[in-house]
Amino acid sequence: MTIAPPGARQEEQTRYLDIRGLGVRYGGKHGTEALRGLDLQVPEGSFHAVLGPSGCGKSTLLKALVGLLDMQVGAIEPQPRLPAYVPQGDSCFPWLTAAENVAFGLEARGVGKRERLQRARSLLADLDLGDFADRYPHELSEGMRQRVAIARAFAIDADLLLMDEPLSALDFQTKMRVQSELLGLWERQRSTVIYVTHDIDEALTLADHVTVLSTRPALARETIEVPFSRPRSYRDVRRAPGYGDLFARIDALLEA
Amino acid sequence: MSDALGPFRAILLGATIPLIVLAAWQVASTQEWINPLFWPAPSTIAERTWDELMGGALATDSFVTARRLLIGFVLGAAPGVFLGLAAGVSRVLREAVYPTASALYVVPRIAMLPLVLVAFSINDPARIFMVAFSVFFIAFFSALSGAEQVRLTHLDVARAFGAGRWRTIARVVLPGAMPSIISGLQVAMGFALIVIVGTEFLAADQGLGARIWTSYQVFDFPAMYAGIVAVTVLGVVLNYLILGSKRILAPWQR
Ligand SMILES: Nc1ncnc2c1ncn2[C@@H]1O[C@H](COP(=O)(O)OP(=O)(O)OP(=O)(O)O)[C@@H](O)[C@H]1O
Ligand SMILES: [Mg+2]
Repeated sequence: MTIAPPGARQEEQTRYLDIRGLGVRYGGKHGTEALRGLDLQVPEGSFHAVLGPSGCGKSTLLKALVGLLDMQVGAIEPQPRLPAYVPQGDSCFPWLTAAENVAFGLEARGVGKRERLQRARSLLADLDLGDFADRYPHELSEGMRQRVAIARAFAIDADLLLMDEPLSALDFQTKMRVQSELLGLWERQRSTVIYVTHDIDEALTLADHVTVLSTRPALARETIEVPFSRPRSYRDVRRAPGYGDLFARIDALLEA
Repeated sequence: MSDALGPFRAILLGATIPLIVLAAWQVASTQEWINPLFWPAPSTIAERTWDELMGGALATDSFVTARRLLIGFVLGAAPGVFLGLAAGVSRVLREAVYPTASALYVVPRIAMLPLVLVAFSINDPARIFMVAFSVFFIAFFSALSGAEQVRLTHLDVARAFGAGRWRTIARVVLPGAMPSIISGLQVAMGFALIVIVGTEFLAADQGLGARIWTSYQVFDFPAMYAGIVAVTVLGVVLNYLILGSKRILAPWQR
C-alpha cells in the first residue's frame, strides 16, 4: 500500500466547475446553434481565460453560466449560484452614479445603503476611479465605464466571476494598468474566474489556463496551462521564456 | 447647441419672428388694412388682458381651467404610466390590453364629450375625465414603449445580480423608460390643454375655454384674445413644469 504525499492528496481534492455537453440554440429548432456539446473543467479558485473566433459563442457560454438562457442542454456542476457578471459592452445603468452602479448587486443582497456605497467607493478607488464615484456614466469615458462594471462584479464577493471582454475599450497603457489592478482584486478574493477575451497577450497575462474555442457551434478545442509565476504583469510575461511558443500555439489554434 | 450662440443672443434670435409679426399686426390693425373688429391691435389686446386680469375674472377663469387640467392630468398620467410599465414587463397583460388601448387611442377625444356628459351629468368631473382620458393613453403608450426599449443588457445585469421582479421594475425598467415617459407627458400636456379648452367651449360656463367662446359669440374680440393669451401663458407654464420635473425625475439626462 502506498501513501500519497500530501501534495498529491491536495491535487486530488481540487474541485472543478464542471461543464459537460453544453449546447445552446437560439430561436427554436431552425435557429442559430451557438454551442454544441461544449466540455470545460475550471479548477475552483483559478483564473480561466476563454479565447475564440468572433461569433463562436463565448458570450453565450457566459450567459448560460449566469442562467440568462432558458434553452440550453447539458450539465453544469455545481450549478452556479448568483455568480458575478460583467457583460460584454457598456452595461452601466445610465441613471445611477458610478458608486450606485457598483453597489447595485449589494442592494439585492440586503446590504444597507451606507455600507454598500462605502464598499463601492473603496472598490472604485482600487480601480483608480475614486474621484468619479458620484458621476453619471455619460460623464465617464468608455474605458471608465468598463471599470465600473468590473467593480460592480467584484463588489458582491461571489465564488464565480464571469467577465466578457471587460477591457476591450481600453487603450494599451490603461489596459496594462487595469489588468494589474484586476489581478490585485482577484488575488484578494480568489474566486473562480472565467474571462472571455480576444486578446492572446491578455489571456497569458491574467490566466492560469487558456481554453480556445472552435468556430460556431463552439466546443472547447484545447485547454493550455499558463506556467508563468505570479504575481505577474504583461511586461514580465512578454519576457518570460516560453512566451513566444505559447503565443504561437494559441494563435495557431485560433487560426485553425 | 445654443452654447455657441450665448443665451442672450439665442433669446433675441428666438424673439425676432414674434416681434416682426406683432409689429406688422399692430400697423395693419391701426391702419385698418385688416378689420380691427376681428383683428384688434396687439396693444389693444394687451390693454384688455391687463384690465381683465386686474378685474380678477381672467385670473379666476385661468385658475378654474388650470385646476381641471392638473387634476385630470394626474388622474390620467399616474395609472397610464403604471399600466404601461406593467404591460411592458408582462407579456400576458400586454396582449390583453394592447388591442383595446390602441382602439380607444385613435378615437378623437372630443367625439367622446356627449357620452361623457351623459355619464357624469354636466359637471366638473366630466371635464376632468375628458382630460384624464386623453392623458391616460398617451402616458400608457409612452411608458409601454419606454419599457420595451430598456436595453437587454440592463435586464441581464438586473437578473444576474439577483434583482427580483419588483426591484427590476423600480430600479431598471422605470428609470430606463423615464425619458420616453417624460416626452410622452410633454405631448400629453399639449393634448390636455386642447381637450380642456374644447370641452369648456362646449360644456362650461367658467374657465378660459368658456371665456373665449362667449366673447366670440358676443363679438367681444379683445376679450377673446385676452383668453387666448391666458391659455398660451398657461400652456407655456405647464410645459416648463414638465421640463422642470425632468430635472428631478431624470437627472442623469443631459
Ligand atoms: N439573442 C440571440 N438570438 C439569436 N442569435 C444569437 C443571440 N445571441 C447570439 N446569437 C448568435 O449566437 C452566436 C454566438 O454569439 P455570441 O455572442 O455568443 O458570440 P461571441 O463569441 O461572444 O462573439 P464576439 O467575440 O463577437 O463577442 C452568433 O452567431 C450570434 O449570431
Ligand atoms: Mg461576445
